[in-house]
Amino acid sequence: MNMPFAEFWTCLERLPLAEHIGFTWWFPFLESIHVLAVAFLVGSILMVDLRLLGLAALRYATSRMTRELIPWTWGALCVAMVTGSGLFMTRAATYIEHPPFQLKLVMLLLAGLNMALFQFRTFRSIKEWDTAASPPIAAKIAGATSLLLWAGVVLAGRWIGHTI
Amino acid sequence: MKDWLASTLVESQAREIAVYLLGNVPGLPPIAQAVHILGIAVVMGSIVMVDLKFLGLAVPGQNVSEMIRRLMPWTWWALSLNAVTGLLFVLARPNRYFYNPVAEWKFSMLLPAVVLAFIVHRLNTREADYWEQSSRRRLVARVIAVVSLVLWIGVVQAGRWIAYSDYLFFFE
Repeated sequence: MNMPFAEFWTCLERLPLAEHIGFTWWFPFLESIHVLAVAFLVGSILMVDLRLLGLAALRYATSRMTRELIPWTWGALCVAMVTGSGLFMTRAATYIEHPPFQLKLVMLLLAGLNMALFQFRTFRSIKEWDTAASPPIAAKIAGATSLLLWAGVVLAGRWIGHTI
Repeated sequence: MKDWLASTLVESQAREIAVYLLGNVPGLPPIAQAVHILGIAVVMGSIVMVDLKFLGLAVPGQNVSEMIRRLMPWTWWALSLNAVTGLLFVLARPNRYFYNPVAEWKFSMLLPAVVLAFIVHRLNTREADYWEQSSRRRLVARVIAVVSLVLWIGVVQAGRWIAYSDYLFFFE
């Protein structure tokens, strides 16, 4: 299969920065920060998802959990994206054609869509169920979907490391 | 002691089983590692969050004593799970871990991190609001939080670097 922007990915690999990362201790260094950021990302979103599922932190309003934890998730996501891009550019053309990598991107995208859907649809009626121990089914589905997708992202990420 | 344990493991049947499982169960190595990372995520969402709360950096609307009671059981479950998934790899290649300085760093940071987590949990169980009873205790809690955060970050960093110790010791 021919990848779109094939030249672009090859160009990316040949950047001095990409070569520097690929051939020095920068790669494991960025990777270790990437794992730390991903763990923190999943840890913070997990706390929100469990509240959405009505499984934990029931004494706190759902809006309080999202307000206090989602910023940490975003922060960790930024760190993960920057370090992840650094790892990606070392062998961009290979990664972009690699099925586990593609799967990881698709799941990331779906996790984002799930979050947006929750934020702009389900969350609108938050006032009606904010303090309810058991949020409505749409919120529960959003929480469960998020958990599954993030676990899938972690698994796909590790899979990349074993197959490339 | 270390040599004895390493050589015993190398010759043990447990090693054979671990090698067999990792080599023959389809996808087991990445799956076990992903579960290990998810366990770390739970550590981040429990004891690390408590540390950040001690420092006044996160979750302002939650009560720290209640947080400890609610979250620490997650820490212990996650660490137990990680012991299992981690042991699978240690058993399969004992020498890779027993004679690796980075692995040594990891476990010498993990031990005090676990002890601190235990202290935080234990004293709070014995006495509700233990860490908020006086300004001195609040200060101690903050010191513990800083040390604990540094240790957990170090554990994760060293954990990932175990596989890359060549870069540190045998590079060029």
